[in-house]
Amino acid sequence: MEHKFKTNINCNNCINAVTPFLNKEIDIERWEVDTENPNKILTVNTDLSADEVVRIVEEAGYKAAKLEQA
Amino acid sequence: MQTGNFTVRGMTCASCAASVESMLQSAGGVADAAVNFASNSVQVKWDETTISPTDFKQILKQIGYDLDLHTDRETQAKRNEEEWIAARNRTFVAIALATPVFVLGMFFMHAGGWVHWVSMLLTAAVMAFPGRHFYTNAAKRARFGQANMDTLVALSTAIAFLYSAVNTVYPQFIQSYGIKAEVYFESAAVIIAFILLGKYFEEKAKHKSGEAIQQLMQLQPNEVTVIKNGLEERISIEDVKPFDRLLVKAGERIPVDGVVAAGSSFVDESMLSGEPVPVEKQKKSSVFAGTFNQSGLITVLAQKVGEGTVLSQIVEAVKKAQGSKAPVQKKADAIAAVFVPVVLVVAVLTFALWLLIGSLSYLPQAINSAVAVLVIACPCALGLATPTALMVGMGKAATSGILIKDATQLELAAKVNEVVFDKTGTLTLGKPQVSTQQWFAEDEPNKSVFLALEKASGHPLSLPLIEAVNAANVTLEQHQTVAGSGVWGLYGGQAFFAGKAEWIAEVAEIPKAVQEKLPLFAADETVVMFAKKNTLLAAIGLRDALKPDAKEAVAWLQNQQINCHMLSGDRPEVAQEIAKQLDIRHVKAGVLPTEKGAYLEQVKNNDKAVVAMLGDGINDAEALAKADVGVAMAQGTDIALDVAGITLMHGKLTDWVSAIKIARKTSRVINENLFWAFFYNVICIPVAAGLLYPFNGFLLSPMIAGAAMAFSSVTVVLNSLRIKSGLK
Repeated sequence: MEHKFKTNINCNNCINAVTPFLNKEIDIERWEVDTENPNKILTVNTDLSADEVVRIVEEAGYKAAKLEQA
Repeated sequence: MQTGNFTVRGMTCASCAASVESMLQSAGGVADAAVNFASNSVQVKWDETTISPTDFKQILKQIGYDLDLHTDRETQAKRNEEEWIAARNRTFVAIALATPVFVLGMFFMHAGGWVHWVSMLLTAAVMAFPGRHFYTNAAKRARFGQANMDTLVALSTAIAFLYSAVNTVYPQFIQSYGIKAEVYFESAAVIIAFILLGKYFEEKAKHKSGEAIQQLMQLQPNEVTVIKNGLEERISIEDVKPFDRLLVKAGERIPVDGVVAAGSSFVDESMLSGEPVPVEKQKKSSVFAGTFNQSGLITVLAQKVGEGTVLSQIVEAVKKAQGSKAPVQKKADAIAAVFVPVVLVVAVLTFALWLLIGSLSYLPQAINSAVAVLVIACPCALGLATPTALMVGMGKAATSGILIKDATQLELAAKVNEVVFDKTGTLTLGKPQVSTQQWFAEDEPNKSVFLALEKASGHPLSLPLIEAVNAANVTLEQHQTVAGSGVWGLYGGQAFFAGKAEWIAEVAEIPKAVQEKLPLFAADETVVMFAKKNTLLAAIGLRDALKPDAKEAVAWLQNQQINCHMLSGDRPEVAQEIAKQLDIRHVKAGVLPTEKGAYLEQVKNNDKAVVAMLGDGINDAEALAKADVGVAMAQGTDIALDVAGITLMHGKLTDWVSAIKIARKTSRVINENLFWAFFYNVICIPVAAGLLYPFNGFLLSPMIAGAAMAFSSVTVVLNSLRIKSGLK
């Protein structure tokens, strides 16, 4: 299942900072952040719920809000 | 509490700075952390009892930043390199200064007084600069009442120099007593140059093979593929952090300790467990750094990296074992320790006898002779005796594929009387091969189907099976692997099964008549069966076979009254079977890596035991480090190669026999060399003491000292070269 989030993951080093938190959740199959997009879109392929992903991002010290599928 | 400033690397925005600050602040033991984004630095206040700057680095690396700390390993390597360069320079300077002294002393001795003055200055330079440490070392030892080679060199050269200096500055003094004012500058200068040259040879041999080991290690990849923000990226292994996700392809080593996040594969963990058959890994299976991914693409979530891995912990244990090893006393030092007091006593006796036999009027001759005894006492070939033999011995070994890293190991190998073998990969080939093959239906299509099934299975044991079965290729209509059991497929509308005996018994009916014809498999064989629905087609046994030369090597060792032992992490039945084939009585099976180290200590407990350990894996490393002589197979792991003093480049056990033979010959030549080094000088001592004086007024002259120097050096070098010949 693919989720998309609007985040404040601004730069490459911010990506580095959230990487361990997203990587260590083994049920997350794949994820990536599009920092080119003004909304800094985080895409996650996972069996976890969107709320759980938001919680993981917040744990890393960043904010994420689920985007409804277009 | 301690406060310090560190440079942080990798911060590019204000969020980064905040992240670094909060990570450090939340670490236990850190009282305060303040980041200065402009200067890329962080000021930390911490409790040194609970946390250290290395931990800060670790914490920041987890989130992608780095802290500048200089690493210990680099400085150590740099220091070694500097020491080696210094030793080399010292030797060259000594030779450059000593050569003119030698030429002047040998060929221009009658050219006039200036010769003595020039020689004195040059010799003083040799002693004061390249040779200085002989005097400081000797002084340190003297404080504890000990003597070694340095003492002998320092004593003899210092006395030779002082005596000659007096005769140069004020020759009239000794001449007024009717004694020729001789100078021995060239002895002093050449002795120092030669002994430094010997040390240089020793270092050079060490330096060179050290490089060879490094080259071996570089064969392993040090780049890994990391998945960064959804993309693959190649990075250096040093930049991998915990929680990185790494892609490990088939044929690559797993770079970290972690769990499989995606994919599945067979992983060869033999380096850690000693077990040759690869282990199946799926999502959530643990994997370990250094193990070898054989078949599939897996994504590994890094949990422990660098120094935190099981591998590194073993390396640490190994380093500890290495560090605690007592240095071996060099033979030349042992001889010097006895020789120095003897020479001093002889010098005093000489002095006393002159006065007793002669009278007080012989006081000048008495002093002169006592000094001459001390001058001639130090053989100039002393420093060459051991290094030249070791160098030739090591060169000889290298041409046979035996790489000797540590010269003292060569000396010890000559005395080995207990040999402990690792089983897998040392005594055996380290990979299973077909050992028994019985076909109940010989016809070609059956073999072809079996081949096709094995090719489809991807099981680690399928490779040796494919190698052993010769048949034409056919295409299966359908096939499927059954995890943990085997593989089945359809061909010509019929079902064929290949796999474990238990599974075959479940899926196929095997007629009684065929069952009775089954071969008897040995305890160390793994059995694979191949069947159709209603009959057995083949039964095949695989085993990790002995190396072809294992029997010959073990028999030679036992014939030489060397006790052989075998350690194995494998099942006892398998270990016993192998031991039986080799006639090894001391066997321990099912051992863990730490138990190997313990077993070795137990063998070493006997005072007379000189123990060699032969192994190839990381699980052998601690035992290799603890052994008197550690021998690694070149096909083995880096750590085993690093720890072992001797590496067998071809992994052949008969090369170990050759190594012992070369070691014994080298050891014999060292003893002979030491004898010849001292021989010419010792026979000159009576002359120096004035034994011939009553008959023909003969006392020690620089000519005699020079001859002794030349004869002893040439004999020693020629004798060392003998190691090259006469050995197969």
